[in-house]
Amino acid sequence: MSQKEDFSELQKLLHLKRLETPGREYFDRFLDAFHAYQRREILQQEPWYAKLVEVLCEPWVAGVPRLATVAASAACLVAGVAFFLGPTQPGTAQLADGKVVHPKGIVVAAVHDQAFKELQPELIETAAGGDEIQIPPLYVNGHNALAYDSRLTF
Amino acid sequence: MAVERVLPADLESGPTDEELVASTLQGDLAAYDELIRRFQGRLYGVIYHLTSNHEDTNDLLMEVFDKAYRSLPTFRGQSSFYTWIYRIAINRSFNFLDKRKRRQGAMSLNDLDEEGLPKVDLPDVSPQNNPNKAIVLNELQNKLNESMLKLSKEHRTVVTLFDIQGLAHAEIAKVMGCTEGTVRSRLHYAHKQLQKSLGIYLKK
Repeated sequence: MSQKEDFSELQKLLHLKRLETPGREYFDRFLDAFHAYQRREILQQEPWYAKLVEVLCEPWVAGVPRLATVAASAACLVAGVAFFLGPTQPGTAQLADGKVVHPKGIVVAAVHDQAFKELQPELIETAAGGDEIQIPPLYVNGHNALAYDSRLTF
Repeated sequence: MAVERVLPADLESGPTDEELVASTLQGDLAAYDELIRRFQGRLYGVIYHLTSNHEDTNDLLMEVFDKAYRSLPTFRGQSSFYTWIYRIAINRSFNFLDKRKRRQGAMSLNDLDEEGLPKVDLPDVSPQNNPNKAIVLNELQNKLNESMLKLSKEHRTVVTLFDIQGLAHAEIAKVMGCTEGTVRSRLHYAHKQLQKSLGIYLKK
Protein backbone atom coordinates (compact mmCIF):
# COMPACT_ATOMS: atom_id res chain seq x y z
CA MET A 1 0.00 0.00 0.00
CA SER A 2 1.48 3.32 -0.99
CA GLN A 3 1.83 6.23 1.35
CA LYS A 4 -0.65 8.27 -0.67
CA GLU A 5 -3.27 5.54 -0.26
CA ASP A 6 -2.58 5.52 3.46
CA PHE A 7 -3.22 9.22 3.59
CA SER A 8 -6.45 8.84 1.68
CA GLU A 9 -7.67 6.46 4.39
CA LEU A 10 -6.76 9.12 6.91
CA GLN A 11 -8.62 11.71 4.86
CA LYS A 12 -11.73 9.57 4.98
CA LEU A 13 -11.45 9.63 8.73
CA LEU A 14 -10.91 13.36 8.78
CA HIS A 15 -14.10 13.82 6.77
CA LEU A 16 -15.94 12.74 9.91
CA LYS A 17 -15.03 16.07 11.40
CA ARG A 18 -17.26 17.79 8.85
CA LEU A 19 -20.18 16.46 10.88
CA GLU A 20 -19.11 18.53 13.87
CA THR A 21 -21.31 21.52 13.10
CA PRO A 22 -23.91 23.08 15.36
CA GLY A 23 -26.72 22.64 12.81
CA ARG A 24 -28.90 24.91 10.72
CA GLU A 25 -30.76 26.43 13.67
CA TYR A 26 -27.58 27.93 15.02
CA PHE A 27 -26.75 29.57 11.70
CA ASP A 28 -30.33 30.80 11.26
CA ARG A 29 -30.03 32.62 14.56
CA PHE A 30 -26.43 33.72 14.13
CA LEU A 31 -27.17 36.97 12.29
CA ASP A 32 -29.50 38.21 15.03
CA ALA A 33 -26.97 37.18 17.67
CA PHE A 34 -24.25 39.05 15.79
CA HIS A 35 -26.33 42.23 15.60
CA ALA A 36 -26.94 42.01 19.34
CA TYR A 37 -23.20 41.47 19.88
CA GLN A 38 -22.34 44.57 17.81
CA ARG A 39 -24.84 46.71 19.73
CA ARG A 40 -23.36 45.47 23.00
CA GLU A 41 -19.82 46.23 21.80
CA ILE A 42 -20.77 49.77 20.78
CA LEU A 43 -22.43 50.44 24.14
CA GLN A 44 -19.47 49.07 26.06
CA GLN A 45 -16.86 51.14 24.23
CA GLU A 46 -15.11 53.55 26.58
CA PRO A 47 -13.44 56.80 25.50
CA TRP A 48 -9.60 56.72 25.64
CA TYR A 49 -9.44 58.97 28.70
CA ALA A 50 -11.79 56.74 30.72
CA LYS A 51 -8.94 54.36 31.56
CA LEU A 52 -6.71 57.26 32.63
CA VAL A 53 -9.41 58.66 34.91
CA GLU A 54 -9.99 55.20 36.33
CA VAL A 55 -6.29 54.74 37.16
CA LEU A 56 -6.01 58.21 38.68
CA CYS A 57 -9.14 57.82 40.79
CA GLU A 58 -8.43 54.27 41.84
CA PRO A 59 -4.68 53.57 41.83
CA TRP A 60 -5.12 50.57 44.12
CA VAL A 61 -7.45 47.65 43.53
CA ALA A 62 -8.20 45.31 46.42
CA GLY A 63 -5.11 46.47 48.27
CA VAL A 64 -2.83 45.85 45.30
CA PRO A 65 -1.49 48.68 43.12
CA ARG A 66 -2.54 48.56 39.48
CA LEU A 67 0.12 47.75 36.92
CA ALA A 68 -0.34 51.22 35.40
CA THR A 69 0.23 52.79 38.85
CA VAL A 70 3.43 50.81 39.36
CA ALA A 71 4.67 51.68 35.87
CA ALA A 72 3.91 55.39 36.30
CA SER A 73 5.62 55.45 39.73
CA ALA A 74 8.70 53.71 38.32
CA ALA A 75 8.84 56.15 35.41
CA CYS A 76 8.61 59.13 37.80
CA LEU A 77 11.36 57.65 39.98
CA VAL A 78 13.70 57.09 37.02
CA ALA A 79 13.02 60.59 35.68
CA GLY A 80 13.68 62.09 39.13
CA VAL A 81 16.97 60.22 39.57
CA ALA A 82 18.07 61.18 36.05
CA PHE A 83 17.25 64.83 36.76
CA PHE A 84 19.26 65.04 39.99
CA LEU A 85 22.22 62.84 39.05
CA GLY A 86 22.66 63.82 35.44
CA PRO A 87 25.39 66.28 34.26
CA THR A 88 24.38 69.81 35.13
CA GLN A 89 26.00 71.31 32.06
CA PRO A 90 25.96 69.77 28.62
CA GLY A 91 29.37 68.93 27.23
CA THR A 92 31.07 68.30 30.59
CA ALA A 93 31.60 65.17 32.62
CA GLN A 94 32.61 64.79 36.23
CA LEU A 95 35.47 62.45 37.14
CA ALA A 96 35.67 60.33 40.28
CA ASP A 97 38.22 62.65 41.85
CA GLY A 98 35.93 65.58 41.39
CA LYS A 99 37.61 67.06 38.32
CA VAL A 100 35.51 68.16 35.38
CA VAL A 101 36.41 67.14 31.85
CA HIS A 102 35.67 69.46 28.97
CA PRO A 103 34.99 67.87 25.59
CA LYS A 104 38.10 69.54 24.11
CA GLY A 105 40.32 67.68 26.58
CA ILE A 106 40.61 70.24 29.32
CA VAL A 107 40.47 68.89 32.83
CA VAL A 108 39.46 71.33 35.49
CA ALA A 109 39.71 70.79 39.21
CA ALA A 110 36.44 70.97 41.05
CA VAL A 111 36.55 73.37 43.94
CA HIS A 112 33.88 73.29 46.58
CA ASP A 113 35.44 75.67 49.05
CA GLN A 114 33.54 78.90 49.52
CA ALA A 115 36.78 80.83 49.22
CA PHE A 116 37.26 79.62 45.69
CA LYS A 117 33.80 80.50 44.50
CA GLU A 118 35.33 83.42 42.68
CA LEU A 119 36.95 82.71 39.37
CA GLN A 120 40.39 81.11 39.78
CA PRO A 121 42.20 80.96 36.41
CA GLU A 122 45.36 79.52 37.99
CA LEU A 123 43.57 76.22 38.72
CA ILE A 124 43.28 75.40 35.06
CA GLU A 125 45.15 72.38 33.78
CA THR A 126 45.26 71.98 30.07
CA ALA A 127 45.49 68.46 28.79
CA ALA A 128 46.46 69.54 25.30
CA GLY A 129 49.17 71.96 26.41
CA GLY A 130 51.94 73.35 24.15
CA ASP A 131 52.19 76.61 22.31
CA GLU A 132 50.85 75.46 18.95
CA ILE A 133 47.37 74.55 20.05
CA GLN A 134 45.45 77.45 21.41
CA ILE A 135 42.57 76.28 23.50
CA PRO A 136 40.53 78.88 25.22
CA PRO A 137 41.11 78.53 28.96
CA LEU A 138 38.33 77.55 31.28
CA TYR A 139 37.44 79.06 34.56
CA VAL A 140 36.17 77.33 37.61
CA ASN A 141 33.39 78.86 39.64
CA GLY A 142 33.35 76.22 42.34
CA HIS A 143 30.99 73.79 40.66
CA ASN A 144 31.34 73.81 36.94
CA ALA A 145 33.85 74.64 34.29
CA LEU A 146 33.03 77.73 32.28
CA ALA A 147 34.27 78.45 28.79
CA TYR A 148 36.43 81.53 28.55
CA ASP A 149 34.88 84.31 26.64
CA SER A 150 37.39 86.86 25.43
CA ARG A 151 34.73 89.50 25.32
CA LEU A 152 34.46 89.38 29.07
CA THR A 153 36.44 92.00 30.87
CA PHE A 154 37.57 91.75 34.45
CA MET B 1 -9.92 9.53 -2.56
CA ALA B 2 -10.88 12.80 -4.19
CA VAL B 3 -11.43 15.60 -1.75
CA GLU B 4 -14.71 17.36 -2.25
CA ARG B 5 -14.28 21.05 -2.84
CA VAL B 6 -16.60 23.08 -0.69
CA LEU B 7 -17.98 25.91 -2.76
CA PRO B 8 -20.69 28.28 -1.63
CA ALA B 9 -23.92 27.57 -3.45
CA ASP B 10 -24.67 31.23 -4.02
CA LEU B 11 -21.38 32.09 -5.70
CA GLU B 12 -22.80 31.29 -9.11
CA SER B 13 -25.72 33.67 -8.78
CA GLY B 14 -26.20 37.02 -7.14
CA PRO B 15 -23.63 39.68 -6.41
CA THR B 16 -19.99 38.72 -5.91
CA ASP B 17 -18.31 39.12 -2.54
CA GLU B 18 -16.49 42.21 -3.78
CA GLU B 19 -19.75 43.79 -4.95
CA LEU B 20 -21.25 43.12 -1.52
CA VAL B 21 -18.19 44.72 0.11
CA ALA B 22 -18.63 47.80 -2.07
CA SER B 23 -22.33 48.00 -1.17
CA THR B 24 -21.50 47.66 2.53
CA LEU B 25 -19.01 50.50 2.28
CA GLN B 26 -21.74 52.63 0.70
CA GLY B 27 -23.89 52.02 3.79
CA ASP B 28 -25.95 49.03 2.70
CA LEU B 29 -25.85 46.93 5.86
CA ALA B 30 -27.97 44.20 4.32
CA ALA B 31 -25.02 43.52 2.01
CA TYR B 32 -22.82 42.74 5.00
CA ASP B 33 -25.53 40.48 6.38
CA GLU B 34 -25.36 38.59 3.10
CA LEU B 35 -21.58 38.26 3.45
CA ILE B 36 -22.09 36.87 6.96
CA ARG B 37 -24.58 34.32 5.63
CA ARG B 38 -22.11 33.25 2.96
CA PHE B 39 -19.15 32.78 5.28
CA GLN B 40 -20.57 31.89 8.68
CA GLY B 41 -20.57 28.13 8.09
CA ARG B 42 -17.09 27.91 6.63
CA LEU B 43 -15.52 30.26 9.17
CA TYR B 44 -17.25 28.41 11.97
CA GLY B 45 -15.63 25.23 10.67
CA VAL B 46 -12.16 26.76 10.51
CA ILE B 47 -12.34 28.24 14.00
CA TYR B 48 -13.95 25.19 15.52
CA HIS B 49 -11.40 22.75 14.14
CA LEU B 50 -8.64 24.97 15.51
CA THR B 51 -10.13 25.48 18.97
CA SER B 52 -12.22 22.29 19.40
CA ASN B 53 -14.69 24.20 21.51
CA HIS B 54 -18.10 25.39 20.34
CA GLU B 55 -18.50 28.16 22.90
CA ASP B 56 -15.11 29.67 22.07
CA THR B 57 -15.87 29.29 18.37
CA ASN B 58 -19.11 31.20 18.74
CA ASP B 59 -17.35 34.08 20.54
CA LEU B 60 -14.49 34.15 18.05
CA LEU B 61 -16.83 34.07 15.07
CA MET B 62 -18.63 37.15 16.37
CA GLU B 63 -15.28 38.87 16.91
CA VAL B 64 -14.12 37.98 13.41
CA PHE B 65 -17.21 39.40 11.69
CA ASP B 66 -17.07 42.49 13.92
CA LYS B 67 -13.37 43.03 13.23
CA ALA B 68 -13.90 42.50 9.50
CA TYR B 69 -16.77 44.99 9.47
CA ARG B 70 -14.67 47.63 11.23
CA SER B 71 -11.67 46.97 8.97
CA LEU B 72 -13.68 46.92 5.76
CA PRO B 73 -12.58 50.47 4.76
CA THR B 74 -8.98 49.21 4.78
CA PHE B 75 -9.81 46.28 2.50
CA ARG B 76 -8.07 47.23 -0.74
CA GLY B 77 -9.19 44.30 -2.81
CA GLN B 78 -5.61 43.15 -3.43
CA SER B 79 -6.72 39.72 -2.31
CA SER B 80 -10.24 38.33 -2.48
CA PHE B 81 -12.60 39.06 0.40
CA TYR B 82 -12.71 35.32 0.96
CA THR B 83 -8.92 35.15 1.56
CA TRP B 84 -8.99 38.31 3.65
CA ILE B 85 -11.70 37.19 6.06
CA TYR B 86 -10.21 33.70 6.36
CA ARG B 87 -6.93 35.34 7.33
CA ILE B 88 -8.69 37.38 10.04
CA ALA B 89 -10.36 34.23 11.36
CA ILE B 90 -7.09 32.31 11.47
CA ASN B 91 -5.15 35.15 13.10
CA ARG B 92 -7.84 35.60 15.75
CA SER B 93 -7.90 31.87 16.41
CA PHE B 94 -4.10 31.76 16.70
CA ASN B 95 -4.15 34.65 19.20
CA PHE B 96 -6.83 32.85 21.14
CA LEU B 97 -4.87 29.58 21.12
CA ASP B 98 -1.72 31.36 22.35
CA LYS B 99 -3.68 32.92 25.20
CA ARG B 100 -5.29 29.60 26.04
CA LYS B 101 -1.89 27.93 26.08
CA ARG B 102 -0.56 30.54 28.51
CA ARG B 103 -3.69 30.18 30.62
CA GLN B 104 -3.41 26.41 30.78
CA GLY B 105 -0.93 26.62 33.64
CA ALA B 106 -3.69 28.18 35.71
CA MET B 107 -6.43 25.82 34.51
CA SER B 108 -8.28 23.63 36.93
CA LEU B 109 -7.65 19.91 36.64
CA ASN B 110 -11.35 19.58 35.89
CA ASP B 111 -10.77 21.40 32.62
CA LEU B 112 -8.27 18.84 31.42
CA ASP B 113 -8.82 15.31 30.28
CA GLU B 114 -6.75 12.35 31.42
CA GLU B 115 -4.01 13.13 28.88
CA GLY B 116 -3.68 16.75 29.95
CA LEU B 117 -5.40 18.12 26.87
CA PRO B 118 -8.22 20.65 27.21
CA LYS B 119 -11.59 18.97 27.17
CA VAL B 120 -13.31 19.36 23.84
CA ASP B 121 -16.94 19.74 22.86
CA LEU B 122 -18.21 16.83 20.91
CA PRO B 123 -21.59 17.02 19.21
CA ASP B 124 -23.44 13.75 19.11
CA VAL B 125 -22.89 12.43 15.60
CA SER B 126 -23.64 8.86 16.49
CA PRO B 127 -26.42 6.88 14.80
CA GLN B 128 -29.22 6.53 17.34
CA ASN B 129 -30.34 3.07 16.29
CA ASN B 130 -26.99 1.34 16.73
CA PRO B 131 -25.47 1.79 20.19
CA ASN B 132 -22.34 -0.28 19.44
CA LYS B 133 -21.54 1.74 16.37
CA ALA B 134 -22.22 4.88 18.40
CA ILE B 135 -19.65 3.91 21.00
CA VAL B 136 -17.02 3.18 18.37
CA LEU B 137 -17.77 6.42 16.54
CA ASN B 138 -17.55 8.48 19.71
CA GLU B 139 -14.27 6.85 20.64
CA LEU B 140 -12.96 7.50 17.16
CA GLN B 141 -14.10 11.09 17.30
CA ASN B 142 -12.40 11.57 20.67
CA LYS B 143 -9.18 10.10 19.36
CA LEU B 144 -9.36 12.21 16.21
CA ASN B 145 -9.79 15.41 18.21
CA GLU B 146 -6.99 14.48 20.58
CA SER B 147 -4.68 13.84 17.65
CA MET B 148 -5.63 17.14 16.03
CA LEU B 149 -4.97 19.03 19.27
CA LYS B 150 -1.50 17.50 19.46
CA LEU B 151 -0.57 19.10 16.14
CA SER B 152 0.88 22.61 16.08
CA LYS B 153 -1.61 25.32 15.18
CA GLU B 154 -0.06 25.75 11.70
CA HIS B 155 -0.30 22.03 10.96
CA ARG B 156 -3.82 21.87 12.35
CA THR B 157 -4.77 24.77 10.09
CA VAL B 158 -3.56 23.11 6.90
CA VAL B 159 -5.34 19.87 7.79
CA THR B 160 -8.52 21.81 8.56
CA LEU B 161 -8.39 23.83 5.37
CA PHE B 162 -7.38 20.96 3.08
CA ASP B 163 -8.93 17.80 4.46
CA ILE B 164 -11.98 19.16 6.23
CA GLN B 165 -12.81 22.33 4.30
CA GLY B 166 -11.53 21.13 0.95
CA LEU B 167 -9.50 24.17 -0.06
CA ALA B 168 -6.80 23.79 -2.72
CA HIS B 169 -3.10 24.14 -1.84
CA ALA B 170 -2.88 27.49 -3.65
CA GLU B 171 -5.85 28.88 -1.72
CA ILE B 172 -4.40 27.72 1.59
CA ALA B 173 -1.08 29.34 0.71
CA LYS B 174 -2.85 32.66 0.07
CA VAL B 175 -4.83 32.43 3.31
CA MET B 176 -1.80 31.51 5.40
CA GLY B 177 0.58 33.86 3.64
CA CYS B 178 3.12 31.18 2.74
CA THR B 179 4.19 29.25 -0.35
CA GLU B 180 2.42 26.26 -1.78
CA GLY B 181 5.53 24.23 -1.02
CA THR B 182 5.24 25.10 2.66
CA VAL B 183 1.58 24.09 2.62
CA ARG B 184 2.42 20.74 1.03
CA SER B 185 5.25 20.09 3.44
CA ARG B 186 3.12 20.99 6.48
CA LEU B 187 0.32 18.84 5.19
CA HIS B 188 2.63 15.88 4.66
CA TYR B 189 4.09 16.21 8.15
CA ALA B 190 0.63 16.60 9.71
CA HIS B 191 -0.67 13.55 7.84
CA LYS B 192 2.27 11.50 9.05
CA GLN B 193 1.70 12.60 12.64
CA LEU B 194 -2.02 11.86 12.46
CA GLN B 195 -1.36 8.55 10.78
CA LYS B 196 0.93 7.61 13.63
CA SER B 197 -1.63 8.33 16.32
CA LEU B 198 -4.69 7.08 14.43
CA GLY B 199 -3.03 4.08 12.79
CA ILE B 200 -5.15 1.48 14.59
CA TYR B 201 -8.34 2.99 13.18
CA LEU B 202 -7.12 2.97 9.59
CA LYS B 203 -7.52 0.06 7.16
CA LYS B 204 -4.27 -1.75 6.49
